[in-house]
Amino acid sequence: MKGEIDQIVERAHDARPSGAPLRNGLRRLLRAVDLLRSLTEADLRFRYGRGPSRVIRWLLEPFALVGVYLLLITFVLDRPGLAPGLSLAAVIVPFQFLISTVGNAMDAVELRRPILLNMAFDRNLLPASCALTECASFVASLSIIVVMMAAYRIAPTVAIFWLPLVALVNVYLAVAAAYAASLLGLWLRELKPFLLSFVRALFFLSPGLVPLSQTSPEVRTLLRLNPLTGLFEAYRNIFLFGRAPAAWQLLYPIVIASAILVVFLPLYRTEQTQFAKVV
Amino acid sequence: MINAERVGVRFQFDRHRRVVTPKASRFRPAATTTWGLRGVSFAASAGEGIALVGRSGSGKTTMLRTLAGVYVPDEGRLRVHRPVASLLAVDAGLLALLTGSENALLLGVLGGLSRRESKRALDAVKERSGLGDAFEYPVSAYSQGMCARLGFAVAEELEPRVLLLDEVHEALDHEFRAIVQERARTLIGTGGVVVATGHDHPLLEQLCDRAIYLDNGTVAADGPFRDVQRAYLEDVRTGTHH
Repeated sequence: MKGEIDQIVERAHDARPSGAPLRNGLRRLLRAVDLLRSLTEADLRFRYGRGPSRVIRWLLEPFALVGVYLLLITFVLDRPGLAPGLSLAAVIVPFQFLISTVGNAMDAVELRRPILLNMAFDRNLLPASCALTECASFVASLSIIVVMMAAYRIAPTVAIFWLPLVALVNVYLAVAAAYAASLLGLWLRELKPFLLSFVRALFFLSPGLVPLSQTSPEVRTLLRLNPLTGLFEAYRNIFLFGRAPAAWQLLYPIVIASAILVVFLPLYRTEQTQFAKVV
Repeated sequence: MINAERVGVRFQFDRHRRVVTPKASRFRPAATTTWGLRGVSFAASAGEGIALVGRSGSGKTTMLRTLAGVYVPDEGRLRVHRPVASLLAVDAGLLALLTGSENALLLGVLGGLSRRESKRALDAVKERSGLGDAFEYPVSAYSQGMCARLGFAVAEELEPRVLLLDEVHEALDHEFRAIVQERARTLIGTGGVVVATGHDHPLLEQLCDRAIYLDNGTVAADGPFRDVQRAYLEDVRTGTHH
């Protein structure tokens, strides 16, 4: 059956004298920022509530999720290697950010059913807002790493200045994963637990539990195919070894994230016109 | 203000009777396809109030959602002058865990206002909604009427040229219903368009001179309210479908 989509909507706002394309572009960008901020703020209110207790909840939630486990590794279990608790924290924190974003994004469309069914708005930013929401939790989680560094008496080095760039790559990968997860969560609702398991499997198919240097050469080559490997090693380099990450550790996740976006972003843009039908 | 040419909106269901998108239907084969609207054509000029009448499931809500841009037509051509304000559900698009003011801020931005404009409008929205202190309570504690009040107050802030009302005004108390009607008449009087649905025909007639009778997603009649209403009621009486 031929599907013709031809809706022409004349917007009063867009009908203003255009002036320069630059100004229109800037207006669209500001609009996108406003929308993204509002969607994220609403998400954060869901997550942390309101009032002074939300800050406490924001700070304690990461400890509740992984902190106890890390304390066990650090202080109870006698594990070999350099600062095993910090080594693990350096990968669990970014991984938690990624998997939470995927989980949030899979429900992003359905949770917004009331507004999707009531008004038209730019739905292209929904997955990005999921990643931004999880960013707030990610920032709070970094305090776990600070605690671990203090516990192992490892002082930060100048390599810490790489952290913003590494975190940015982490966010980029999370945003890309969010677009894929939003669509897959909608297309394959009953398979959501398996999709999350797939992301969890990526953790175990990466040097998550031990650094890459402690794996065999054959396995190392295979592990490098996992985009999380580079990211995890980059965090370990900064926090544990106090050195700059290698170029491949940042470039490979960027390439994979870009590939995910190239595939899923156009699909998402097409499919978002159908969201109201399926929620 | 509105020009619909042979507009069609299609729903595809998989074998579990769940709606699937055209892309998803490639790997979840669509077992059935139904058209919520098919070949719907009409035009609305400035200053018109149009009532959509018809049985439940006849396509009224689908039509309103399509006019609002919530659904994109799968075929045909639709022109709608913006801004459009819509109250298409009893929950008025509100998120239950957010407070009235948080919802108002979010809906304002989603509706096209900047954050600054939406924040600046909060006092006006609070006053217009008549919610008082409840404006700062979570919407989960609201009645349907309170939701509709808030939704309508935000919709007004968007200064719409087209206002879409889907039965929700029937959930309003008499005081606010009168306000909605007055505002809708003002919009019509200033060259806007109001499209409303509902089963309370006397209420619709107060707003709309014209009616469109939808049956099975197609236009069965279009004309002066009384004439179309008569045709619809006659079909209901005789059990006729188009």
